[in-house]
Amino acid sequence: MSLFSALSVSASGMSAQRARTELLVENLANADTTRTPEGGPYRRKDAVFASDSTVGQFSAMFESEVNPSASGVRVAQVVTDQRDPEMRYLPGHPDANKDGYVAYPRMNPAEDMVDLLSASRGYQANVAAISTVKDMIQHSLDLMK
Amino acid sequence: MFEAVAGNLEQYMSLLSVRQKLVSSNIANADTPGYHTQDIDFRAEFAQQMQGQECLGPQTVEPTGLPMKADGNNVSLDRETRLLAENALRFSIATSLARSQLHAIQSAIEDGKSA
Amino acid sequence: MNISPIQPASIQPIGPLEIGGPAPSSAGGSEFHSMLESAIGTVENARDHANQSVQNFLSGDGEDLHSTVLAVQRADLEFDMLMQVRNKVVSAYQEIMRMQM
Repeated sequence: MSLFSALSVSASGMSAQRARTELLVENLANADTTRTPEGGPYRRKDAVFASDSTVGQFSAMFESEVNPSASGVRVAQVVTDQRDPEMRYLPGHPDANKDGYVAYPRMNPAEDMVDLLSASRGYQANVAAISTVKDMIQHSLDLMK
Repeated sequence: MFEAVAGNLEQYMSLLSVRQKLVSSNIANADTPGYHTQDIDFRAEFAQQMQGQECLGPQTVEPTGLPMKADGNNVSLDRETRLLAENALRFSIATSLARSQLHAIQSAIEDGKSA
Repeated sequence: MNISPIQPASIQPIGPLEIGGPAPSSAGGSEFHSMLESAIGTVENARDHANQSVQNFLSGDGEDLHSTVLAVQRADLEFDMLMQVRNKVVSAYQEIMRMQM
């Protein structure tokens, strides 16, 4: 049934936005991390979304052959920023190299804050979708009363 | 007797469900690069079904005029939220109408029993 | 819907038997019959109008929601009223039939 598969689709949207939020929060928390287990400063991470047509159970896959297929979303990839870190001149810092420069993560916290807001808005929209579809299913049941 | 409008109401609600599923899909993919908004031409599909043409399923169309973002995604969250609310309202209108029709037939049966 | 008050079917007083026999109360009978028909016709019309209204609303907002809902309610009420009138008429008839002559 279309409405039940809509629930799966919205659920996948919620998961994807939540994963994105986790990455963004990690970025913000590590904005000044100069030391990581892999060596070097923290590198910014980002999530790449891709639409995903195999959401839900097998019946949904069959139905998608007959009806317009709704696609969910999944996190296809987590990309790590490969740019060179930002070097700041701080001779007294424990992580300073021989020239006195410390490698800091190349990040713009303002950008991440905006992305966080966008992810939050997307999450809320998916929650609204689930709630609305649930009400529609409830109304169908009310026909029996 | 049960078909006339009750039958159309069922098709109306089915089309609304399909449309709502596409809206959910659009909302879930609001940040997916390269994703285009999916929709169905509701009026055309409903008119087609009323004329009794049995087709496999409604065709997906891509609405035009939506602003495209830099990553190739053209989902407008405002449009999808509006459609979400509108579809839900129409659905509840249809169920109310169907319910009142069923009740009318039911009361006719009930009154007939006591005769 | 204008429901005219029920005219009791005119029952001819039992008089002395005449040669040709009293004419059966056909005048009263046909009046009742045609009244019933017109009442049913009114309810049918209201129902058709309501169905048409729903159809128009579903297929593309030719009609406002409130007009549609009111039309549907009106049709249902007319039907209910007809049912109640029918019930009263039937019970009145049964009561008359029970009268000991």
